[in-house]
Amino acid sequence: MQVKYTLPILAAAGFLFAAYTVINSNKPIPVAPVVAPPASAPFTSFIAGSGIVEAKSQNIAIGTPLSGIVKTVAIKVGDKVKVGAPLFYLDDRDTRAELAVKRADLAKARAGVNEAKASVRDTQSLSALAEAITDRRAISSEELLRRRNALLINTTKLGSAEALVQQAEAALTTTQTTLARLVVQAPINGEVLQVNIRPGEFAQAGALNTPLLVLGNMEQLHVRVDIDENDAWRFDQNSKAVAFLRGNPNFKTDLIPAYVEPYVVPKKSLTGDSSEQVDTRVLQALYSFDRNQLPVYVGQQLDVFIEARDYSGDGRPPL
Amino acid sequence: MNHIAIKMLMGDRGKYLGIVMGLTFASLIMTQQPAIFLGLMSRSYSFISDVGLPDIWVMDEKVQFVDDIKPLQDTELYRVRGVSGVEWAMPMYKGLLKARLADGTFQTCNVVGLDDATLIGGPPVMLEGRLEDLRRSDGVIVDIDGARDKLGKPSPMSGGKPIALKVGDSLELNDRRAIVVGIAKVTRTFQSQPVVYTTYSRAKNYAPKERKLLSFVLVKAKPGQDLAELTRRIRATTGLAAYTREEFMSLTYEYFMRNTGIPINFGISVLLGFIVGAAIAGQTFYNFTLENLRQFGVLKAMGTSNWTLLRMILLQAVLVGTIGYGLGVGLTALFGYSMRHTILAFKFPWQLLLFSGAGVSLICVFAALISILKVIRLEPAIVFKG
Repeated sequence: MQVKYTLPILAAAGFLFAAYTVINSNKPIPVAPVVAPPASAPFTSFIAGSGIVEAKSQNIAIGTPLSGIVKTVAIKVGDKVKVGAPLFYLDDRDTRAELAVKRADLAKARAGVNEAKASVRDTQSLSALAEAITDRRAISSEELLRRRNALLINTTKLGSAEALVQQAEAALTTTQTTLARLVVQAPINGEVLQVNIRPGEFAQAGALNTPLLVLGNMEQLHVRVDIDENDAWRFDQNSKAVAFLRGNPNFKTDLIPAYVEPYVVPKKSLTGDSSEQVDTRVLQALYSFDRNQLPVYVGQQLDVFIEARDYSGDGRPPL
Repeated sequence: MNHIAIKMLMGDRGKYLGIVMGLTFASLIMTQQPAIFLGLMSRSYSFISDVGLPDIWVMDEKVQFVDDIKPLQDTELYRVRGVSGVEWAMPMYKGLLKARLADGTFQTCNVVGLDDATLIGGPPVMLEGRLEDLRRSDGVIVDIDGARDKLGKPSPMSGGKPIALKVGDSLELNDRRAIVVGIAKVTRTFQSQPVVYTTYSRAKNYAPKERKLLSFVLVKAKPGQDLAELTRRIRATTGLAAYTREEFMSLTYEYFMRNTGIPINFGISVLLGFIVGAAIAGQTFYNFTLENLRQFGVLKAMGTSNWTLLRMILLQAVLVGTIGYGLGVGLTALFGYSMRHTILAFKFPWQLLLFSGAGVSLICVFAALISILKVIRLEPAIVFKG
């Protein structure tokens, strides 16, 4: 009797357990949640690109006309500056010393003019005395000639001394200009976006990988959109475009076309390698937008969608 | 009559147990071996099935399976995004990188880079920490199996189990610092390498310097968009390969079917199980019928029709078959259950229940057939011969 029932019961239990395992072990895998919802294009046919925010004036990498040690930096990041406002001062002790020398040179040259003038007056009075004598026998003609020539020579010397003054003045102006060039000034009204120099550092003249200062006009921002060259033929400057903030696509704004740079540039692939290879080339279109709609910083990336005509379907070339 | 049949079957306990054992064994092998096979094969595409959100995977057209990475240019992402019918498209990096552990050993890890903003494609279950923690500097999320085992710190006692990696521990990926900010549960992959999740841009820093680093573009179709039509459009517009999630899974699955010995090995096991089960059960059942031939003879002499005898034998076969089958699948399930926390691959879909049921039925039919032939040809006079 035992065997008669044990085995069928065991078998039924086994089957039920197998069925339970089947149901239990084949539950669908849960779907990982999205941290921030992705931006989605509001158009049916469109071009997608990544945009980078920049100032309307573009971001100006300020350079220095002369290399030298930075003495003081007159601004902080975020300062609003006017045209001509000093940004930073380079060490000018050397030039100031030179200025003193040039001033002394000028003083010396001016003294030389006075001296020459005195000589002219001396010879002039002597010459006038001789010229005043009516009786030619009272003075030898040689003496008369000597006095006249002395006057001529001294007059010329005066001219030469005056030229020396001009020279010294010009030299002084040169040094003053050099002194002025040691103060780097703001070329536009704008905001300081980045400061990469501190007092005591050496500022190198010329194009640098890391600019000394970055300045930009923040009143109006632009988005620089990279469009793959393979998509460039679909691009129409006047079609609608929308930009979404990365991380929260609820922040979006319509873009107003500003201009298109007609030169297609290599896209930077940013591998950090010493010899970057060109991945592809991109067309860069610039758009302006309302700053109040989008809390962005300069240099931030945006997801941009540009409406494009739907060319799929007909196999004909679009133009 | 049925009562007699059952009594006849269970009268000889040894033979009864023998038949049931044979069928149990056959059913066990025909269920457990395919279950392991299916478990292994599903691991080949487990990475794809873990990423539930996107509908379509876009990759280089020469990609043969999920671990066969042929990276794309970064701008391809935007070209895919520009295809109409695409709701969104996100980049994903997937690659094998070497992690240096605390004791100086190296471990190859499967590093997955997710889109920085949305973190789409992340691990399905977070055990510790949150997916957002990836935004922290140098943050990575490690899978629990890798953290416990291959990426664990060496045990203070020699030969002991490694100490599991915790949130806050650091790793070295390609000479760069990585801080564990979360522990996730993922489905094991075929190679069972530890999985390290990080953001796309950080993964590009960890990866060796290469020109192209974009492994996959994950695409979500707009609502109501036909997926087959969209994959065709993506292919036509970008020249890349686009597969729906299921297509990519079967692509990977088929690659493993074609290029590894796994299906043949397991196929042979299943076949052997079937043959041995059929031989044992068939032979024992036949023997049992032979022994009971006398009884069948008596029944036949008493005027029982062939049809009734046939039904009796069929009943006996169905009974032992059902018991053997139930025991076999039960043992398989028990095996799977006891192994659920080990590295063993085991997958038990309902189709497998049907498969082994069909196998056992075939064995029973075969066993019953030869017995039935014997009984039908039986002369009732045999009873009186002995």
